[in-house]
Amino acid sequence: MIAFGSSITRPDVYRTCAEPGIRLAAEPGSAVYDLPAIGSIFRSYNALLDRAAGRDDLEALVIVHQDAELVSAELCSTIRATLADPDVALIGCAGAIGVRSIAWWEGSVTLSSFVNRYEEHGGGDLHAFSWNWGDAPPYARTGEVETLDGFVLVLSPWAVRTLRFDETLGAFHGYDLDFCLQVREAGRKVVTADFRAIHHRPLEMLPDADEWIDAHVRVAEKWDGRMPGIGHAEGTWRERALRAEAERDAARAVAHSTDLEIEARTAMLEHALAETRGSISWRITAPLRLFGRAAPAERPRLRAR
Amino acid sequence: MIAFGCAVEEPDAYRDRAGPGIALAAEPGSAVHVLAATGSECRSYNLVLDQAARHDDLEALVLLDENTEITDRDLCANVRGALADPDVGVIGCVGATAVEGVAWWEGEITRGRVVHRYREYGGGELDAFAWERAGAPPAEVEAVPGFLLVLSPWAVRSLRFDEGLRLGTGFDVDFCARVRQAGRKVVVADLAVVGHRPLELVEETDAWIEAHIQLAEKWDGRLPGAPPRPADWKARARRAEAERDAAQTLVFSSYSRREAQLLPLERELTAMTRTLGWRLTEPLRRLNALRRRS
Repeated sequence: MIAFGSSITRPDVYRTCAEPGIRLAAEPGSAVYDLPAIGSIFRSYNALLDRAAGRDDLEALVIVHQDAELVSAELCSTIRATLADPDVALIGCAGAIGVRSIAWWEGSVTLSSFVNRYEEHGGGDLHAFSWNWGDAPPYARTGEVETLDGFVLVLSPWAVRTLRFDETLGAFHGYDLDFCLQVREAGRKVVTADFRAIHHRPLEMLPDADEWIDAHVRVAEKWDGRMPGIGHAEGTWRERALRAEAERDAARAVAHSTDLEIEARTAMLEHALAETRGSISWRITAPLRLFGRAAPAERPRLRAR
Repeated sequence: MIAFGCAVEEPDAYRDRAGPGIALAAEPGSAVHVLAATGSECRSYNLVLDQAARHDDLEALVLLDENTEITDRDLCANVRGALADPDVGVIGCVGATAVEGVAWWEGEITRGRVVHRYREYGGGELDAFAWERAGAPPAEVEAVPGFLLVLSPWAVRSLRFDEGLRLGTGFDVDFCARVRQAGRKVVVADLAVVGHRPLELVEETDAWIEAHIQLAEKWDGRLPGAPPRPADWKARARRAEAERDAAQTLVFSSYSRREAQLLPLERELTAMTRTLGWRLTEPLRRLNALRRRS
């Protein structure tokens, strides 16, 4: 039996996002643990694991964020095929290698089969690079990775019964990387598989930067020296500090520049729209448009990195 | 006498921007030192300082880059007002406190009437450094940017830009730190300026990063007045690496926002200009354009 679980802080979000996906992917007989969150995500997920661990017939536990919507109806068969390798302990639909911190996306991402569906600016979808295999870049592939994006995690029975999310690490951030590291330290595999999900979330990736920074430091401290690459960089601590501060400020400058670009391009487009609307051509052809109303625009479809 | 100085790399830029601004702001009798840029920005500015220092009647030196256009007819009066405090060593049109390094704009900003004029996307103007709520001048700050520096006679005669900062970037922050180290003040006055610059704040990232490190090394990792950082280098490195990754994530968020915000406008414009009516009336618009040109 493949079970599903979600930790819920906002029942309305769960009902519109995670629940429909679970209904699509679950099989008759699948257990669904939709539990209210208890404290941190670490603790809440451990509660899900405790519930699932008691099932003798457990084949896998699929944990989804309340705002994650599974869209692969054949997910259970994909999971069974992937777990045919007995060393596989953890599966996801987005992952990377060369990861050094909880910013796993700064590593070399090998699979990213999700859509970020946002509500800002009228709403739209940002397609990650392997959402459509036809458009996927040459480095897109399923298989073994170092870490997964935790918004959808599939745990083997071994992982459910042997490991726990580390509740000492904080409230939310870093739970996924830390769990992947535990799996790998135990000699098991973390892999991506060919399934997809929609992540309903805002465009802002780090609304709580201070918490995220603290988690980044804690995870680096926990794993430095235990797992190759994690928390590692070249140079002395002094050199690392000064370089990272410089790179931090350079990145912030790029973000500021992008904001300026947005403002400039928005002004240009608004000017062009106003000019078009105010033109004689547009005004004298108004009757024509009355007869040919365009179909409603479809959702914007964009490509993320 | 308030003097003006500029080191010119691109004569056209000086003619179109710095030159007209100096003409607007200068008083009868103002000396104007326009030199060909040579070597680094610090070297060029030091040559201007050497020339200005010779004026016995010097009240101030307004040092600006060729892409800065003064739009303040009362600049000289405003400068005299700021220099009424004899402790003032440097005046800028924008500046910040809590400055940690080259990126002075990451501090808490005080801004005069500073406009950022850009050419990209059809050109336009923005309030400069407007991503944070800025305080209003006059105010004492820790650093002001090098695109417009007004130096007191003491600063002109006592200090020089550090030509050892070979990468150039950050020479302004360094100069201001030395002014403060000497017990003088760095202030922002209500000066009106247009900065003609691209939208991109940092054009050569790798060199900029090296310059950031160079300045930090010079000040042993901490500029005077900078916010506290962990004294232990390991803890400081951990924190900085986390902050760097957070900043890079902020960049991804900005890219996403860019696409999300611009796409509906682009789609609307495309939909409008693809209509049958718009296409049918294209000859009319061409005719009108020709008529306007003739």
